[in-house]
Amino acid sequence: MDTTVIQLLLPLGVLQLILIIIALIDLRKIDETNGPKWMWVLIIIFFNFIGPVLYFILGRRM
Amino acid sequence: MQWQTIFKKELTEHWRSFKWIWVPIVFIIFAIMDPLTMYYFPIIMDTVGNVPEGATMDFPTPSVAEAMIMSFSQLGLLGVLIAVVVSMGLVSKEVKSGVYELVLSKPVSFTNYITAKYVAILMLIAFSLAASLLVSWYYVNILFGTISFIQIVVSILFFIVYFMMILGIVMLFNSFLKSQGLVAFLSIITVVALNVVSSIYSHVITWSPTLISDYINVYFYSGQLETEIWFSSVAAVAITVISLIIATITLKNKAID
Repeated sequence: MDTTVIQLLLPLGVLQLILIIIALIDLRKIDETNGPKWMWVLIIIFFNFIGPVLYFILGRRM
Repeated sequence: MQWQTIFKKELTEHWRSFKWIWVPIVFIIFAIMDPLTMYYFPIIMDTVGNVPEGATMDFPTPSVAEAMIMSFSQLGLLGVLIAVVVSMGLVSKEVKSGVYELVLSKPVSFTNYITAKYVAILMLIAFSLAASLLVSWYYVNILFGTISFIQIVVSILFFIVYFMMILGIVMLFNSFLKSQGLVAFLSIITVVALNVVSSIYSHVITWSPTLISDYINVYFYSGQLETEIWFSSVAAVAITVISLIIATITLKNKAID
């Protein structure tokens, strides 16, 4: 891995990190979710990229 | 004045639910994923592919146009999905929860209510599209070769017109259905049906709005803008306006009942 690879992939990693962080902040703020909250914490952290998206679409109780 | 109040309320609501952060980020990831994977495909195959000893594989590196088109087609699938999901509850949720009656107990015109909501969500989606495709353009420029800035801006504008129509259709279904899931389902079915029909009869209905992405692809290959793309855009705008008018009338009739 040379440095250009890292330079190109770093922004992608940063974006995914931001996604995880705002999903967790939102999860903390929100009163109720569809399903238990701890489950969503696990989904957000362990399912990279898809986890936070699933949370924003399905997890927030409408 | 009244329009602006509803519009601002919508914007704060999108902001509070972090839509202004997560939708652009997700769009950016969708847009750059494919060009990046294509570029690093040989390296990925080397490290995880279990290629048998001595086997040689030639992966043709995609051309600049192909790489850029990948971003557009990815957004044309997954981006549409996200756009529909994000806007499926705009009216139906408020009708169901009763917020809608609260809003309309004040003298709010239905036209203002629908258009303000529509413009607010359109701004979010247009911003996400522009941001993601510009980031992707930046990557493609580094990895594959140059595409002119004018070309990408023109393509983004036409692509936004296509999404305008999709959001219009979602607003239409929003006005007479209470279930968000049903709104999303029917909107996606409609868009898919439009796509299928117009790709089968693409030589007959050359003005079909769903062909906009095809014309954008041609534009990247040839550098020439097809004249038909203008007709498609006019058709897209027409469908949007008609959808919004029908949505307004539906809400009016609901209020009388």
